[in-house]
Amino acid sequence: MEVKTRATGTKAVAKPSEESRVITAPNDDLVEAIVVENKLWTPTNPNAYGGLQPPQITHLRAEEHADKGDTGRWRALDIIPTKADYVLDLIRLNSLWPLTSGLACCAIEMMSAATPWNDMDRFNMFPFRASPRQADVLIVAGTLTTKMAGPLLRLWEQMPEPKWCVAMGDCTCSGGRYKRSYATVEGIDRIMPVDVYVPGCPPRPEGLIYGMMKLQQLIKERRGHWAERNVGPTVPDGV
Amino acid sequence: MTTDRGTVRSLDDPNIFVETPATIFDAVPPYPPRTEREAEFYHLRDGEMLLNLGPQHPSTHGVLRVVLKVDGERVTDLDPVLGYLHRGVEKICENGDWHQAISNCDPLEYVASMFSEAMPVLAAEKLLDLQVPRRAEYIRVLCWELNRIASHGLFMGWLALDLGGLTPLLYGFIERDTIVEMMAALTGQRMLFNYLRIGGVNRDLNHDFLSRLGDWMGKAAVELENEAKLLNENEIFVRRTKGMGTLDREAALRLCVTGPNLRAAGVPYDVRRAHPYSVYPELDFDIPTREEGDSYARYLLRIDEIRESIRIIDQCLHEMPDGPIMAKIPRLIRIPPGRAFISVESPRGQYSCYAMSDGSDQPFRLRLHDPSYFTLQAVGHLLPGNLIADSMAVMASLDPIMGGIDK
Repeated sequence: MEVKTRATGTKAVAKPSEESRVITAPNDDLVEAIVVENKLWTPTNPNAYGGLQPPQITHLRAEEHADKGDTGRWRALDIIPTKADYVLDLIRLNSLWPLTSGLACCAIEMMSAATPWNDMDRFNMFPFRASPRQADVLIVAGTLTTKMAGPLLRLWEQMPEPKWCVAMGDCTCSGGRYKRSYATVEGIDRIMPVDVYVPGCPPRPEGLIYGMMKLQQLIKERRGHWAERNVGPTVPDGV
Repeated sequence: MTTDRGTVRSLDDPNIFVETPATIFDAVPPYPPRTEREAEFYHLRDGEMLLNLGPQHPSTHGVLRVVLKVDGERVTDLDPVLGYLHRGVEKICENGDWHQAISNCDPLEYVASMFSEAMPVLAAEKLLDLQVPRRAEYIRVLCWELNRIASHGLFMGWLALDLGGLTPLLYGFIERDTIVEMMAALTGQRMLFNYLRIGGVNRDLNHDFLSRLGDWMGKAAVELENEAKLLNENEIFVRRTKGMGTLDREAALRLCVTGPNLRAAGVPYDVRRAHPYSVYPELDFDIPTREEGDSYARYLLRIDEIRESIRIIDQCLHEMPDGPIMAKIPRLIRIPPGRAFISVESPRGQYSCYAMSDGSDQPFRLRLHDPSYFTLQAVGHLLPGNLIADSMAVMASLDPIMGGIDK
């Protein structure tokens, strides 16, 4: 097969050969392992941490590098809502499993909402799960500091879809009494989508239960249309 | 895969995306060892591994993160990582006036916030050399002791929860909710009361509060005995707490541990008796101590303290005088320049404050000394040698609160 440049005036002849009929996999960047080289230090034991080799787990790479915006979360899963989701959402809203992610003061009121005086289980909000992989709802209870922001975001991303987020307390809604602090995030809607805001410092357990019932109503109204929900930062920057 | 901007949010500023994935759940820090201690801790010997516990873990009582070095199922060493709840309270207090400092100090020790909100109040009163009306002092003592019972009631539940029993937590919360609803009738809030004022308290006792308190006092002692029966002689509970996490008297004193954890080791130190404040010298109560210093002793001691608190509340109700609840002070106070050190006995130990005033209406510096922080130091001495499951129970028996530790 001759290949000449345009300057010489002859056309490049491209005949179908045996090699070109074979469809080769495109050179996808996602398949390649992402190696973050540890240039900072080396452990004393060279075999520690798998000998600093890249991990063999590759099936989550696509999700890891997908668009982390709210609309992009469904894109990664390639799901088209169908009629079945109308029924499934009714099941989901009647068995919300919250994650125990108490950060500060509001966590005590969140626990109080689950104990005999204000029994959350009566309203189909089921036991608090300790693992994000078993939870539907993330109740962010308490002040979110910048140091805790990363771990909390990681928790949110570990939760399987469909998932919802309830911001409990003034600190998580807008920054609250620690808005002027150098160490806090002024409202968790700056880093993750929020479905229901429960203000109060801290809100009463009844307030949290009311917020969770609002969440159930919200799931019911939007059933089958998760991707269209309008959540995200509501507080403009600099407020 | 390279993109225009990074895909991972920065830990320092979540609005910024960075390229390097942050290894936030990696037990090994992403920097070379900075101290000899770090170099020793992160060097693993044969058969050892690092286990990252927290910051989101149901039994760390908040957002504490502990890196455990384990050999099989036994903890050999640990490295606590603090600061996940650092809210900069001391700095915020300097930017507001003394009245705002009361509500800013509230969420520090959020299980017993009546004690942490007393810090700027008592410091300002000491700097002003202010005489608080006696009725206000009695109301304060009443609220402090009620809050102590609520806090210790939660402790009973949490300790049992970390040992795997859910039922005592339900009973502890019944007790706690009864008390905080009572306090809400008085102060208007369930948790962060914002009730104390410089020179007195916010509101006088009302009928709603007193009727709820009367109902509760009639059955409190009986209910306490019933709840103690759940755990005191439970074989699993006793086996997993007796002899576990023994903190001896010298170590406790050396580590500045105060409060029930110190008294359970045999040192009868209580700020209410050692450095009396408010109307405690006029009240008749005992300082319970125990000799063993293990988890079980710490648990029993707190039950004894609840009994003493009920005694104090009873005396407060009988001896409470009539009169004003606020001293006559101007609404805009300028605290005279000077320094003051005050301390109260909180459910976790000696809660102190070193306040500096420069003569303006804002505190120049409000240094808060939280007992939980010093209690947490003992964790490093008590946990090595225990099983992982037992180390949680030992940590729960020390009862630290992360809000006060990270401030």
